[in-house]
Amino acid sequence: MAEVLQNVGYGFQVALQPLNLMYCFIGVLIGTLVGVLPGLGPAAAIALLLPTTFKVNPVSATIMLAGIYYGAMYGGSTTSILVNIPGEAASVVTCLDGYQMAQKGRAGPALGIAAFGSFIAGTFAVIALTCVGPFLSNLALKFGPPEYFSLMIVGITVLTYLSSGSMVKALLMAGVGLILSGVGMDTISGQYRFTFNIQSLLNGVGVVPVAMGLFGISEVLLNLETEIKREILTTRVRNLFPTLKDWAVSIWSIIRGSILGFFLGILPGGGAVIASFASYAIEKKVSKHPEEFGKGAIQGVAGPEAANNAGAGGSFIPLLTLGIPANPVMAILLGALMIHGLQPGPLLMKDAPDLFWGTIVSMYIGNGMLLVLNLPLIPMWVKVLKVPYYLLYPLILLFCLIGAYSLSNSVADVIAMLIFGILGFLMKRFRYEGAPLILALVLGQKLETNLRRSLIMARGDFSIFISRPISLGFLITAALLLLIPIITQRRKLSSLRER
Amino acid sequence: MEKADRASGLFWLVFSLFVTYKSYKLGLGILHQPGPGFLFFWTGIVTAILSLIIIVMSLRNRPPEETAGSDFGSWKVAKIVPVLISLFVYVLFMEWLGFLIVTLLLFIFLLGVIEKKRWWFAVLVSLLITTLTYMVFEVALQSQLPKGLLEFLRF
Repeated sequence: MAEVLQNVGYGFQVALQPLNLMYCFIGVLIGTLVGVLPGLGPAAAIALLLPTTFKVNPVSATIMLAGIYYGAMYGGSTTSILVNIPGEAASVVTCLDGYQMAQKGRAGPALGIAAFGSFIAGTFAVIALTCVGPFLSNLALKFGPPEYFSLMIVGITVLTYLSSGSMVKALLMAGVGLILSGVGMDTISGQYRFTFNIQSLLNGVGVVPVAMGLFGISEVLLNLETEIKREILTTRVRNLFPTLKDWAVSIWSIIRGSILGFFLGILPGGGAVIASFASYAIEKKVSKHPEEFGKGAIQGVAGPEAANNAGAGGSFIPLLTLGIPANPVMAILLGALMIHGLQPGPLLMKDAPDLFWGTIVSMYIGNGMLLVLNLPLIPMWVKVLKVPYYLLYPLILLFCLIGAYSLSNSVADVIAMLIFGILGFLMKRFRYEGAPLILALVLGQKLETNLRRSLIMARGDFSIFISRPISLGFLITAALLLLIPIITQRRKLSSLRER
Repeated sequence: MEKADRASGLFWLVFSLFVTYKSYKLGLGILHQPGPGFLFFWTGIVTAILSLIIIVMSLRNRPPEETAGSDFGSWKVAKIVPVLISLFVYVLFMEWLGFLIVTLLLFIFLLGVIEKKRWWFAVLVSLLITTLTYMVFEVALQSQLPKGLLEFLRF
């Protein structure tokens, strides 16, 4: 415990440096903006701002990129409540009761409880992260290639299992991501694979251009097809501070949402989106008046908003301690850390304690900044929402173009981004999800190396994956997710999402 | 949706078979020394099976809830195609003309032609946005955007 406190103290030293404070502020500000603006999610925002961090030291860069992620969770709720359009996926469920509250003239308390709930949950997640992180890092040091291989299989399986559409399509996308990760030089044999003598493919398919294409460009193309109609609440937002009665009915929802969100966030493949849906389902179940849900129940805002923030915090755990990204945003963050010469994993805490503890503590400070930023600035965010889409989409496209070009000052990355933008648009039209593809693309190389190393270790004996207990545990989890006919539960979840 | 699923399933089937063939050519190795094509050969086989499942399901199932707005007929590409072409043209001329010129032209095209805004508005906004993004990305963040024809200006 003393060691944890010492580390947190060190984290504060790092995070409170003026430069890092500034980057933390920029991160949460951009994050809130991204969350507010529909059509631009945190994954695309991190991907397209990544090149701007190349000249910054890795600690400040990570602090800023992390800020964008949890900042977007805050910002997303504003649009859900005021416009009934979720700024990003984790705020979809907030629309159900948040917008209803706004229509009944209670937009203020809805925004207020969302911000306070998010702050409490975000803080809880950071404290839990501080306690669980070192423990998981030590555990992960015992992992060998078979355990890593099996863990990554679980990660990909969970994400495909939790995908909102067809699981077959999600698995197929994970397979495509895995295949794309094989493009370029094979690190074991030195042979080039799937490069077709194209110079720009020799170094492989970059995660960032793919993410920008799949999440940024494709979203713009889709919105061009269906004009976004926005009905912004014209009444003034008043009384942002929830009443004592509001607090009394919401506090347990916030606590439940925080705990649930954090644990779902840790789960590879989980994260903020699923946490918010699960929290809403639970709140409705435990409520004495479930009939009020969907008609402006404040618990329906407080629980999911707490859950998605705690989930965002929790999803840093597998990345920072195991080097395994839990969701596409973390996958891009992993790519970012690797570009900065860092290898996330169990050794990160020892190799780069400033980054590990600095980032964690900055999230604590960032949560405070968000609270201050969100409540008084809500009128400004509402004004941002009024920026017409005909101005917004050229700007998003331009930022994507600049971001992709700045990766390596070459048009090859921009072309790759545009190609994946078209692919992403088609995938959305044909109802394929991009998240499993990105996750598999990021994990692919590690997965292959660990598979081949395991087989070399065991002289070709596949039983190495089931003879080691941790690996076996992971594989059983993956098999359960794939095999047990839980279709009914998935259907329930899908129907909830659709609603 | 069935038609769309059949088409996409077929596309991924061909893709998977191609990957399987290429991976086989790369060399599968032996189990205690897997080759560079080992993982992708098997991944190709699995994705081929998944594509087949999608095709078969599209032939058998006609889920009523998945019919809305996802067939080819409902596609509105009138805006998407010219926007995409303009983006590819932007990339093509980016290094030759330079960031400032191509960005200005792209914005004038998007606002003036695609969005049909008044010309003076399109030009004014394009000039403003081009200048602002240049200041932020090139001057402040030193992104090294291509200067192209305006190289001689050295700003």
